This record gives sequence, C-alpha cells and structure tokens, in this order.
Amino acid sequence: MIRLRSRSLSALAIALGSLVPSAWTGCGKPPAAGGREDAPAPVFRGRVLAETVPRPEFTLLDTAGEPYDFLEETRGKTALLFFGYTHCPDVCPIHMGNIAAVLNDLGVERRRHVEVVFVSTDPERDTPGRIREWLDRFDPAFVGLRGDRAEVDAIQRSLGLPPSVLEPRAGDGSYAVGHAAQVVAFSPDGPARIVYPFGTRQADWAHDLPLLIAGTTPGHP
Amino acid sequence: MGVWALIVVLAVLYARLTRPATGAGPIRSPWRTISFGAALAALWLGLDWPIGALAAGYLASLHMLQFLLVALIAPALLLLGIPGAVWERLAGRARTSGILRLTHPAAAFLAFNLVVLVTHWPVVVDALMGSQAGSFLIDMLWFGGGILLWWPVVAPFPARPGFGYALKIGYLIAVTITMTIPFLYLTFTSLPVFATYELAPPIPGISKRQDQQLAGLLMKLGGAVVLWTGIAALFFRWYVGEEGSVA
Repeated sequence: MIRLRSRSLSALAIALGSLVPSAWTGCGKPPAAGGREDAPAPVFRGRVLAETVPRPEFTLLDTAGEPYDFLEETRGKTALLFFGYTHCPDVCPIHMGNIAAVLNDLGVERRRHVEVVFVSTDPERDTPGRIREWLDRFDPAFVGLRGDRAEVDAIQRSLGLPPSVLEPRAGDGSYAVGHAAQVVAFSPDGPARIVYPFGTRQADWAHDLPLLIAGTTPGHP
Repeated sequence: MGVWALIVVLAVLYARLTRPATGAGPIRSPWRTISFGAALAALWLGLDWPIGALAAGYLASLHMLQFLLVALIAPALLLLGIPGAVWERLAGRARTSGILRLTHPAAAFLAFNLVVLVTHWPVVVDALMGSQAGSFLIDMLWFGGGILLWWPVVAPFPARPGFGYALKIGYLIAVTITMTIPFLYLTFTSLPVFATYELAPPIPGISKRQDQQLAGLLMKLGGAVVLWTGIAALFFRWYVGEEGSVA
C-alpha cells in the first residue's frame, strides 16, 4: 500500500510537471552557440528548454529567519531551484538525495559554485526548524526557504511552473501536496536553460553538474 | 498471494510424492521433512512481506538477500528434503534424456551463472521489477536456476559416478568465483546502477550507494557462507566415506 501511494504521488508530481508551458518542456538538441554550425553543442542529460528563463527576483525567509534574496545570493553561481515539501514521500527526498550525493563527489572547490535552494510548498507544516532538519539529512549547505502560499505560488508562476495543489486530507489529518517535479538549473551567467525532471539519476547529475558549473550552455544565446 | 500459492503447491506435491504405497513403511525421514519445511520457510521469507515488498521496489540489499534465500538456500534445502525412495520413483518415471542434459554439471553451471548475470543486469532489473509479473519472473528464474545449480551436487538421480566429491567441491568453488563478477560491479561502482532502487522512496538510515554496496557484499559474503557450507558438508561426507572404506 505504501508503495502504491508513493508511486501515485510521483505520478501526480510528474503530471503536474507536464502541465508547464511549452518553454519548460522543449526537448532535444538546440542549435550550436554563436552560430558555429560545425561546433556540436554540449549534450546535457537534463531537459533543455526551448527558451531560456531569467533568474527570478524574490526574497523569502531562510531557515534561520533571515531574508534570502535569491538573485543576489546566487549571482554568479549555478543555482538549483526546487519547490517541494518535507513530508513528500518520494520526489523531493529522491531529488535532494541524488543531488547531495553527486555534489559530495565534486570536491570542495567546485561545490562552492553550486547553490541548492529548496522552497517549501507546504508552509503550514514546514516550519523553519523542520525544513532545516530535513535538508541537513542531505547536505547542511542546502538553503531552505519559506514564504506564504501566495508568495510561493507567484514565484512558481513567474518561472512558468504550475502552483502546488493541496490534496484532500486523509482520516488522520495528513495530506499530500502536488507540486512541479523538476529542478530548475540556473547557469552562472544568469538564466535557466535546463530542468531536471523526476527520474534524473545520479549518473545524470554527475554528467551535467560539472558542465553547468563550468558555465557550459546547451547552445542557447 | 502468488507466494502462498507456490508454497501450497510445493507442500501438496511433497505430501503426495512422499506418501507411502499401501502396506509399505514410511518413506519420509524427520530430517528430510525438516529440510523441505525449511526450504518452504526460506521461500516464504524471501518472497513475502516484508523482504519481498522491500526487495521489489525499495532496497537493492534486500533484493540480494531475497536472491540468497530463493536461489541458493531454498533450492538446496528442497532437494535435500526429497527422500531417496522418491528419487528412485522419479528415476523410474522421468524422461531421463532431458534431465540428463539439463542437470549435467556443465549445463547447470552455465544456466545458473547466466541467470545470475542476466537477473542482475540493470536494464533487465529495471525493466522487470516495475511489475508484479516481472518481479515474479525474476524470482522463478532464481529458484529454477538454484534447483539446477544444486541438482548435480545433491540429487542422486541421474547417477553420475564420474562426478565425485572432488569435482562437486570444485564445481561449487567455481560458482563462488563467478559470483564475484556481480559483486565487484555492485560494490565498486560509484553510482547507483539500478534505477528501480535509486528512484525509490528513501529508507531512513541508508543511502542509495550504501544500499548498493551492501547488496554487493551480501551477494559475496552471504553467497560464500551458503556455498562454503555446501563445500564443507561435501568434504565431511567424502572424509567419512574414505574412513569407512579404510575401516
């Protein structure tokens, strides 16, 4: 039963992910950068967006209760932005665990150039302390942010992501939150060109993260 | 449900095969019945909840424990549990040519190792473990492969006078060596190889990589314990036989 529930939640998250506008679902190999037709664009394992998405401007409170200006704090870095919740049984812990495992392999120097930002879509249950405790299971350097539901929904919309959906409560009062399942990867030069849907494996992250950190782009201007 | 059906079928089959003919004495001995019962217990333990459920979609390490129970332990105990009289009866009825070929040590060795390699190949695992039918197919391949593996060592039929204790011991040692291949692959690959377990809801206290390394170690160490127990038993029987013939 547990497995069925988890799988169905994954399916919901993936389905929500599939609702995003076409800019988020573009696949395939884009044209080579700089008009050099003979230079093959790097092949990323993430899903390359048809159009770049600017790095968003927003400020939310972090787990220490301090304002965190996403644009300023992540400037010049590879930023992996993910919207989820700490009671999530599958998508969120799997993404966080896989990213943490691969970042751990990269070494301190390259690790410094990556900021992983988790934004809660369940502010009612995700207290700052709970978010911190949950993120620390993966990597204490991960940033946890919290805002009210309207703020977080607005940020997601600005990125072209669907806002999260509260599922009906179970008899024991628990509930699931349907949310976009992709991690949005912002390049050091600013915009996002690639997203990583649920199903992205450690091997995929291990392949793409060094490229992202090095500022390699999949060929978009 | 399928697990219980399999166990009931095996138990009924055993009861029927070991039922003494009218007027004849009992053909079951207590230790053979215990051995057969232990085989069924190993199957049940490996295939039912919790090991079966967790092995199907959560932990590669439990998938490997399941492999040990279903492919190595249960088949050996099951074959050991069959009384000599039943083997004689089977020898009289069976089409010996097919069994001769299938249970030839070389064929059994190849079949078991093929099953081990194929059923631990990530593409196959990920393709089959997603469904109950696929998962059941892997279980049955393990069980069938295990029966073939142990048959030349345990079963008195078909008689193979040329395949004595020394060769049986060598045969089992060779299996410990071939099982090193998946062990090395699982234990020393830095990234998770099975999407089934990597993308499963995490189990607290064990990372995906630790789980995979534990799976490799279980295969090597657990497999070694089972196979070397068999080797030790063969050596002991060989020694006792030699002593008897000298006396």
